[in-house]
Amino acid sequence: MADNNNNVLVRVDNLVKHFPIMRGIFQRQVGAVRAVDGVSFEVKRGETLGLVGESGCGKSTTGRAVLQLYRPTSGSVLYDGVDLTKVKGEELRKMRRKMQMIFQDPYASLNPRMTVGEIIREPLLVHNVAAESEANERVKELLQLVRLNPAFSTRYPHEFSGGQRQRIGIARALALQPSFIVCDEPISALDVSIQAQVVNLLEELQNQFGLTYLFIAHDLSMVRHISDRVAVMYLGVMVELASRDELYNNPLHPYTQALLSAVPVPDPVVEATRKRTILVGDVPSPANPPSGCRFRTRCPIAEAVCAESRPEFREIKPGHFVACFFAERFLQ
Amino acid sequence: MADYLLEVQELETTFKTAEGIVHAVNGVSFGLKEGETLGVVGESGCGKSVTMLSVLGLIPSPPGKIIAGQANFFGRDLMKMSNEEIRAVRGAQIGMVFQDPMTSLNPVLTVGRQLTEPLMLHLGMTRKQAEDRAAEMLEIVGIPNAKDRLSDYPHQFSGGMRQRVMIAMALSCSPQVLIADEPTTALDVTIQAQITDLVKRLRNELGMAIIWITHDLGVVAGLAQRVIVMYGGYIIEEAPVNELYANPLHPYTIGLIGSLPRVDGKEPERLASIEGLPPILFEKPRHCPFAPRCKWVMERCWNENPVLETVAPEHRVACWADVKKEGPR
Repeated sequence: MADNNNNVLVRVDNLVKHFPIMRGIFQRQVGAVRAVDGVSFEVKRGETLGLVGESGCGKSTTGRAVLQLYRPTSGSVLYDGVDLTKVKGEELRKMRRKMQMIFQDPYASLNPRMTVGEIIREPLLVHNVAAESEANERVKELLQLVRLNPAFSTRYPHEFSGGQRQRIGIARALALQPSFIVCDEPISALDVSIQAQVVNLLEELQNQFGLTYLFIAHDLSMVRHISDRVAVMYLGVMVELASRDELYNNPLHPYTQALLSAVPVPDPVVEATRKRTILVGDVPSPANPPSGCRFRTRCPIAEAVCAESRPEFREIKPGHFVACFFAERFLQ
Repeated sequence: MADYLLEVQELETTFKTAEGIVHAVNGVSFGLKEGETLGVVGESGCGKSVTMLSVLGLIPSPPGKIIAGQANFFGRDLMKMSNEEIRAVRGAQIGMVFQDPMTSLNPVLTVGRQLTEPLMLHLGMTRKQAEDRAAEMLEIVGIPNAKDRLSDYPHQFSGGMRQRVMIAMALSCSPQVLIADEPTTALDVTIQAQITDLVKRLRNELGMAIIWITHDLGVVAGLAQRVIVMYGGYIIEEAPVNELYANPLHPYTIGLIGSLPRVDGKEPERLASIEGLPPILFEKPRHCPFAPRCKWVMERCWNENPVLETVAPEHRVACWADVKKEGPR
């Protein structure tokens, strides 16, 4: 990925995050869950990179490791040229202003004992960017920004619906005027009609402030809507990355193809004639992944070579990366 | 109407909560024909699950209470049955599959034990017969080494496999009706595709009627022949599946379909969202429950709650407005 120019905001190289498995009274390490096992990608300034995959594929771990909420086992994360994996303490804390996160569960990610005002004000006070009085003004501005009534700042999270809580989480993330936000499944806990509200809000905020998003989700339809480019993960590795239209129109990895064909379309006429690739079996355990290509145990086109070596994540045409030995077969 | 296998009429269910009485289901009527798949769609709290639980006599009471309604099934009213009687219907003639296969299976009993119990209870099989039938059912739902897996516990199965076990259990007594409440919501899309594929296959082989409750308009599009849309405890629209998606007439249905992005076709610049929140009904509204969020709301909507009217063959809608004419019907 040799794009060294200035429009790359985040550059992740060979990111690895293993969680140790401990056993016995001496808690000796007997293995590791290879949650993320060598992932490389870039996020360009002002874009939304969608990161999709099924449960346990390592997409959330990747998001957290990028922000150093989990320290990566190895690999590097360059943010504006600074390697976050080498930065620590006060310096990292300062960097964090620029990078924020929106969490999946709006019920668990807001402290139930703090008022909405206190929740949104906290980052401002922690980072010393505003005095108490100034901070209160800023809280009101932020609530208005996410289309909530500024008078709500004295209420507690339980008084709000899921969609409104997610707006509060967004206001908190915006408090420090970050340029990069990792959105970890921000809408999957919400009802259908509320999902569209939150996605529209995220898009408006992006246009207004020039935000860069890493948008993690399992909903391929929503990712298609919000993303400029999309990356697909399977069992700790990235299998495909391309611009949005390229990925949805010409998926080259057999997993991406199967994933896209499995998504139901809200149109009975299309559904009646659609061809599905139904994958057999379940995702293997990330503690003991298959040799070679991770997907080979469920892949409809796997051959002997797939068990022997791991396919390289290569650029098969400009901007389209894929990790499959046989991707050429699907090139149009 | 004699051609319905199961016919629910004017069902009303309430729940007593600390904040007051919640009107969860407010006069719901629908029928299920033999061999058809009926989709029931709506968001959390719209009353779709409570409707089915009421029909099955599974509403915990208190706090729940069935205020009114009938559910005719083979000439008998399920609502009037004693606990014993309805228990004989559940499992034997009406099978059920729920959203979370981990909490609906007993973690301390083997899968074999849980599968054979209804067979011995409802069909009077011997243990040996029941075990053979259980193994056969597991095979039908696509579990490899079915015979050996009877002695496994639920935690030894993955989420998708557990849902297959649930389906095997629901279908083991060859019921005429299968009620599935969000059976694929907790599963990944590739596993969801496996399960819906399995249900389609079983439907063709066994010919049971299905009520499929979901919030996912995509799953329903590929599975159901007829769809009911619920909002605030009311049925607000009902139509054959093609008609509903091509020609939705209730503003809520229109909003719901418009707010969905798709993996295929043209991508809209901006999703059509429905502003506001779904209601929690502490009293039965006199106005249309959707009026506070409706784009087409008129004077009349605030004074009278619309009733379901047939506007086209098999297409019923509860709305005073004609969205095509942008005015009253």
